[in-house]
This record gives sequence, C-alpha cells and structure tokens, in this order.
Amino acid sequence: MNTQQSQILTPENQGYCPTKEDFKLVGTTYQEQAKAQQQAPAKRKFRNFPFFSAAVLSILVFACFFSSAFVNHDPTQFYLSNLNTAPNKEFWFGTDSLGRDIFSVLWNGGRASIFIGITSTIIAASIGVLYGCISGCASTFIDTVMMRIAELFQSIPIILALLLLLSLQEKQTPLSISIIIGITSWFALARIVRAEVRQIRNSEYILLSRHMGASFFWIMRRHLIPNIISAIMFIVISSISTNMAMEATLSFLGLGLPPEELSLGSMLALSNRALLLNTWWVIIFPGLFLVILLFSITQIGHIFRQENCKGFSNL
Amino acid sequence: MKHAFIRNNYFSFAYTGLKLFFQLAVMLLILAVIVFYVSRLTPGDPLQSFYGDAVQSMTQEQLDLARERLGLNAPVHVQFTKWIEHACQGNFGISLRYKRPVLDVVKPLLGNTLILGIISYFFVFTLAIGLALVCARYEDKWIDRFICKIGTIAYYTPAFWLGVVLVLIFSINLQWLPSSGAYDYGKSKDILNWAKHLILPVAIMVASHFWYYAYMIRNKLLDELRKDYVLLARAKGMSKMSVLVKHCLRNIMPTIINIMAVSVPHIISGTYVVETVFNFPGIGLMAVSSAKYHDYNLLMLIVLITGFLVVISSFIAQYINERIDPRIKGTEIITL
Repeated sequence: MNTQQSQILTPENQGYCPTKEDFKLVGTTYQEQAKAQQQAPAKRKFRNFPFFSAAVLSILVFACFFSSAFVNHDPTQFYLSNLNTAPNKEFWFGTDSLGRDIFSVLWNGGRASIFIGITSTIIAASIGVLYGCISGCASTFIDTVMMRIAELFQSIPIILALLLLLSLQEKQTPLSISIIIGITSWFALARIVRAEVRQIRNSEYILLSRHMGASFFWIMRRHLIPNIISAIMFIVISSISTNMAMEATLSFLGLGLPPEELSLGSMLALSNRALLLNTWWVIIFPGLFLVILLFSITQIGHIFRQENCKGFSNL
Repeated sequence: MKHAFIRNNYFSFAYTGLKLFFQLAVMLLILAVIVFYVSRLTPGDPLQSFYGDAVQSMTQEQLDLARERLGLNAPVHVQFTKWIEHACQGNFGISLRYKRPVLDVVKPLLGNTLILGIISYFFVFTLAIGLALVCARYEDKWIDRFICKIGTIAYYTPAFWLGVVLVLIFSINLQWLPSSGAYDYGKSKDILNWAKHLILPVAIMVASHFWYYAYMIRNKLLDELRKDYVLLARAKGMSKMSVLVKHCLRNIMPTIINIMAVSVPHIISGTYVVETVFNFPGIGLMAVSSAKYHDYNLLMLIVLITGFLVVISSFIAQYINERIDPRIKGTEIITL
C-alpha cells in the first residue's frame, strides 16, 4: 500500500483545478461489452465450423441415398462386353474387371459403407458406455478386474481379433460385419468413459439420487451420460470413419464382404487385379470417394472436440 | 543406508521379474484359450487345407483315420490340454497347410516382420516427435494448421489403398521400386536389394501411423506450455525451441514412452495390412492366410508371438518410466 499521503490539489498550491470537462466518462457501454464478451466463444465456434466439409458430406450422403435418380447404368448389371473400359462418355468412371459401371456402383457402395460405419459405431458406443459406467460405479475390486479385461482385449492387435471373429461365419453381410467391428472397438471408449465416471460419481447430485432410491440405469441415463457425452462425442464420431476404413481394409484382405455385396471395400478388393491390368480408375475413384467421406466426417467430429489447452501459452 | 538401498534394489528386481513372468503367463494363457476355442468353432474343414482337393475322393474311413492321426476328433478341451502339454515342451505342432513344424514355418518370417516393424517404429516416432515439436513451437500459426490438416488426411487414408496407389505409381508406371516381396530371388544377402523392397512398405506404415502419435504428443506439449516454469525459462532468456526440447520434452517423456508401448499392437496391426498389400513374407501375411485356410497350429503360434511382444513392450515401458520418474508408479495412461 502506498503509505505516502499524496498532496491534495487545490488552486492555492498548484494554481490549477481540473474541471468537469477534463474527465472522460467511461463504462456507459459496459453492459453491452460484457454481453459481447460472453457471446464471443459461441461466435468463435461458429467461425471454426467446417462449412466446406459439412457441405461435401451432406451432398455425398444425399447422393448415396438417392443415387437411383441420376446414375446412368444399373449397378447390379455386368456389362461383359465392356470389361476394364477406361473412363469415357458412356461409363463416366470406367468399368471394373467384372464389367460393372464404377460410377453407378460407387453410390450403392457408399451407402453400404455409411451403414456399416454408423451401425458398428452405435454398437461399440453402447457397449463402451455401458461397460465404462458399470466399471466406474462399481467397487474397486470389480473396477480393477473389468479394466484389466478391457486392457487385455485392447492389447490384442485388432486385425487379429477381427480375423478370428470373421472366420466364424462363411459369408459376411453388412450387418454381420458391423456387429463384428462393433464388438472389437469399444475398449478404448470404455476406459475413457470409466475415467470420466470416476470423477463425477461422488458428486452430491448422484449421491442424492441414490439416496432417493434411483436405480443404476436411471442414474446412468439422467446423470452420467449427459455429463460424459461431451468428452466422448469426438471419439464416437471419428470412430465412424475408423470403422468405415476398417471395413474397407477387411474386404480388401478378402475377409470382409464378398464382391457381389456392393460396398467401397468390396470394390477396392478388386484393386489387386487392377494392378496387374494397370487400370487406375478401378483403384482411384472408390478410394478417393472413401477418403473424402472419411475426412469430412472427421472434420464434423472436430466441432465436438474438447479444447483441452485453454489459456495463453507461456512460450 | 547404502546397504538398505542395495537390498531394496535386489528385492525390486526379483519382484519385477516375478510380475513380468506372471503377467506374461496369464496373458498368453487367456489368449491361447480364446484363440483355440474360437478357431475350433469356425466352419470349414481343416482337412481341406491338409489334403487339398484330395479330400473329395477320400472315403469316410480314411477321413476318420486322418482326423484321428491329426488329433482333430477329440473334444476341444482334450485337444487344448494336449496342445498346452506339447507347447510347454516347445512343440507347437505341425502346420496343416505346409506339413512342417510351425516353428520352422514361422522362424524365417519373424525376422522379416521384425525388420519391417522396427524400422517403421523408429521412423514413426522420430517423425511424430519432430512434428509435434514444430506444431507446438508454432501453435495456431499456418504451419501448425497445415501439418494438422495433412496429418489428419494421412491418418484417415486407408493404409492398403495408399499402398496400392503407391505401387501403381512407383512400381507399375514409373518402375522405380519393386512392388512385392522382401528381396529378389537369390539376393537375400544383398542389403541394397532389401532396402529397395522396404522403402514402400515403410513409407506406408509411417504415413498411416505417425499422426496419431504426433497429435497426442503435440497436445501434451501444449498442456505443458501452459505451466509456470516455461515462463521462468523464457524470462531467463532461453530460446523457444530450447525450452521445448530441454524442459517440456523431458517432462512429458513418461507419456511418450507410454504411448510408444501402447503403439506396439497398432504397429503390428499395421504390418498385417502392409504385408498383405506388398505380399511381404512376414507373420502378418501368414496370419491372414492361416485364418483363411484353418491352419490352427500356425495361427496359435502367431497369436502367441504377438501377445508376447505386446506384454514385453508394455513391461519395458513401465520399467523405464518407474526408473526415470518414481512418481509414475501405479498411474495409468488412457489413449484412444
């Protein structure tokens, strides 16, 4: 604190006294400024919204589901007189080694891939959230055991686990493959959910709820899931793209969907044969379509990403 | 005081050894049980891969006899105990497809996979740490955003597709690099030939894996930059990069080592795909084909080797971490 008493300014000792005009009135717009400051994060969020990716994604998804309106060939038809045709006026993206028109098949394949991505993510997310919530709320011993089991499964290379599960069935369908991908990809999610639940499970509102006799599922639905949803949203959405890529990989390895089930993966499964024939269009178009789809889904997911480094950098 | 320190050290050494052995045994046993039972549940006849098309012309008695000789007609749990017994003596059975002991089949392939895996592992983490440092140094500048975009695209591009495209460009159209195999026929001693065959597979492995780790390390570094000691170091006049490298990177080293341990199964998964694309003779390619042809014994051995690598690597990471930072004991890291 300043201990020195400052001299009082008077006309006698200074010869000048500030009048009312010398002061500037500040803070009259304080209310509006504060409001603007509060709104700023939302605005910034809006500025970072990936408009381009959202537009691309919605166009692609829309086109996949209404492809019959604009494709110029039957996707299930084999044009045997036009095997391996390069892109031309009739076959816009060329034909593959089975004689299918790639442009027409692409949209149907995209539909199956999106279906597989979303279904497997729903399965994985429901198992992961349920497992994580149970583990997070359970006693220390059960929690440890459940987490050890999840860790054990997580340390198995995922392709190996998928190999085993896929060989259980002779022929794959989109549903069976999404179930298999779903039940092999929930471990990481369960561990994250469990860590989040651990942090909030002793909050007053949950204790109160339990005292009032709420069941576990009630607490999970009303208190746990709303609190953890923001932490896992990014992971869930980006796992749609991971799962779509996984389906394509499995089909490429010859373990996923057979060629007659149209999907981006089963189209790309023909790329080994295309390499021998040097027919680049069979490889490039479905792959590029898949990459664009995956990238735009991930960009959408970035909206939900939690900013973990707030504040200014000290560097 | 010194005496107590040594005793404590001996004790901790024995304890860690015992823990490692126990973890390894439990992990491998659980893996073996799961794989054994699941693979026996699969439809399809293992005799088909043993005899090939000759199965169709065999009589029922001959088939039964063959099953008995290969030990395929006993109940599954009897088969399993028998398998464990033999495995403990170092006998993992014969491959149904290659009709040789599985150890002989896998031994030459294991080296190839390890070479591919270790080289990619090295490059992935060198690149990941380097890029993470650059991104953290220029946070939110154009270079950071650019690297983030490129990395995201690289991460979400399916590895097999990237592989096929690179083969299409570099080996089929430009004819610069070979498209398949680990070495040309008769040139297995030629290191240059090896290196030439490894360029594309390693490139794919690095491209599809680096960003996952670079991003995690970058975020960790950015968290670290918010701490007070960075301000102090800057106030003393250290340059930005040397603060990052000398202080921040050192402080997040335990996390990086943990990430490196967690990455082992991911990298192994990656080698499976890359080996299949490039027809690279390794255990990944062998695993895919043995699952297709119901070659149980071979699959079991590959699974066990994989499990062994994973447990050992996570253990090494834990050990190093406890050495460099005693606070780390008992804490866990959660990664995606």
